[in-house]
Amino acid sequence: MNKVISLVNSDRTLVRWSTVIISLLLGAAIWEAVGMSFNQAFMAPLIGNEEHPGTLPRLYVYFFDDEEYLLSLVQSIQLFSTGFVLALLVAIPMGIVMARLITLRIALENYILALYVTPMIALIPFILSILGFDFWPKVLVVFLFAFFPILYNTLEGARSVKPELIEVARSFRSSELAIWRDILIPYTLPYALTGIRQASGRALVGMVAAEFFLSTSGLGEELITASRNFDMAGVLATILVITGLGITFMRIAQAVEKKYSAWRGVDR
Amino acid sequence: MNDISEQLPDQDAEAAAEPGQARIEITGLGKSYGSLQVFKDINLNFGEREIVTIVGPSGCGKTTLLRCIDGLLPVNEGAVQIDGDEIAQPREGVAMVFQHFGLFPWKTVEQNVAYGLKLAGVSKSEIQKKVPEYITLVGLGGFETSYPYELSGGMQQRCGLARALATEPHVLLMDEPFAAVDAQTREILQFELLRIWALRPMTMVFVTHSIEEAVLMGDRVVVLKGRPSSVFEIIEVNLPGPRDRSTLGHPRFAEIREHVWSTLMDEARAAEFEVN
Repeated sequence: MNKVISLVNSDRTLVRWSTVIISLLLGAAIWEAVGMSFNQAFMAPLIGNEEHPGTLPRLYVYFFDDEEYLLSLVQSIQLFSTGFVLALLVAIPMGIVMARLITLRIALENYILALYVTPMIALIPFILSILGFDFWPKVLVVFLFAFFPILYNTLEGARSVKPELIEVARSFRSSELAIWRDILIPYTLPYALTGIRQASGRALVGMVAAEFFLSTSGLGEELITASRNFDMAGVLATILVITGLGITFMRIAQAVEKKYSAWRGVDR
Repeated sequence: MNDISEQLPDQDAEAAAEPGQARIEITGLGKSYGSLQVFKDINLNFGEREIVTIVGPSGCGKTTLLRCIDGLLPVNEGAVQIDGDEIAQPREGVAMVFQHFGLFPWKTVEQNVAYGLKLAGVSKSEIQKKVPEYITLVGLGGFETSYPYELSGGMQQRCGLARALATEPHVLLMDEPFAAVDAQTREILQFELLRIWALRPMTMVFVTHSIEEAVLMGDRVVVLKGRPSSVFEIIEVNLPGPRDRSTLGHPRFAEIREHVWSTLMDEARAAEFEVN
């Protein structure tokens, strides 16, 4: 019986993975075909030929034969992480405090809603003219992109903490600090993690935008340089790198989110 | 019932030395939300190791009264005193069991039971000793590492009870503890609670809307009635102990149950017509 089930399961896994691989190969083939049928230098195929190496050969060069490119990558990751971690450190406590202090929430609600819906990219010229071209203004851009989804979700989570649980805590003579430790933080965590997952995508946009529009640096600079030289293989290779970063951040956030919200799905 | 408790070793010799002294004294208690008065002029005394049940129609404020006794809600008039101290906020030695269980869904049974002890600053080794003891007492052995969502309603309330008992309270406040579980489970839990109480007697205030439950569990039954409600009647139950299933067939049980029923039904009918 068990054997049958495991056979069926392994069959399903096999079908699943075959589908994924075929889909990826098909995508690559279409890319290659489109790239080769036009001007090969301009449309950068995936692999290309001797005369016009495509995106993958370029990626190989970037990663194994181009120290400057790796420096750019590190620069970008630094920018991303600094802005992202700062956003997280400010947004989560702020969200919980706002859920606990109703006056503060009412006072700030409109600002937060306004900034949440404002395209952050529109603020970049403003940040540029006030703060200039350093590292920190760029961090601010990433911060702003990441901050609001985290704050918003944390606030929603902390607001939905069941009053019954707070009542239990009070009945057991809990201090406010212990209420945070025992109830608010564990209850809010899954919501905050949803915010963090959303924010990881937005922070990546913020990272590239900051590297484009403030002093160019990192992967943003690589993109701009490549496109100015009509080096489409370089452009596409860098885009693939950024996509890879995005997928990695998203997957990490998803895994952490899943780990800490196991109890939520079945909570009544 | 009282006979049993006297045969057991004294857990609290000091308090027992002053027989007849009320553990909880409620004088002239009134509570209102804005212009809505919930109850008024409540005067009650609950003795050492006594089980008092409070019964009344839904909306009569019995749960609110219990929260005032615990100190979770401020009162507008009068005072609640426990062992002579006026209650303004939850007090040491008083624990509450909630209708909604109030378990932390991200904590296991063990962690939930340890919650009150941790807050009270009990040492780790002491917690490790006490938690299994109380889990066994409420019959949850084998479920130490289960999460609340993996348990039935009845088992969740056993866990809630263990959490309250683990702090070794002198006063246990029960807020319709079995209202959210099915009828069979409710009956099992009622007798379980009586068994546990006989092992560790304490003052217990038990709020319920079930007349049967009130008569079965209580040494005395307090009937709340009116709008705003007040104490309408206090009934000495005087049923032979220990109480078990046979108690339900006792003539005295039926007599009191019918008496409380007719008292409350008058009001329930009046309320129904008022609404319609």
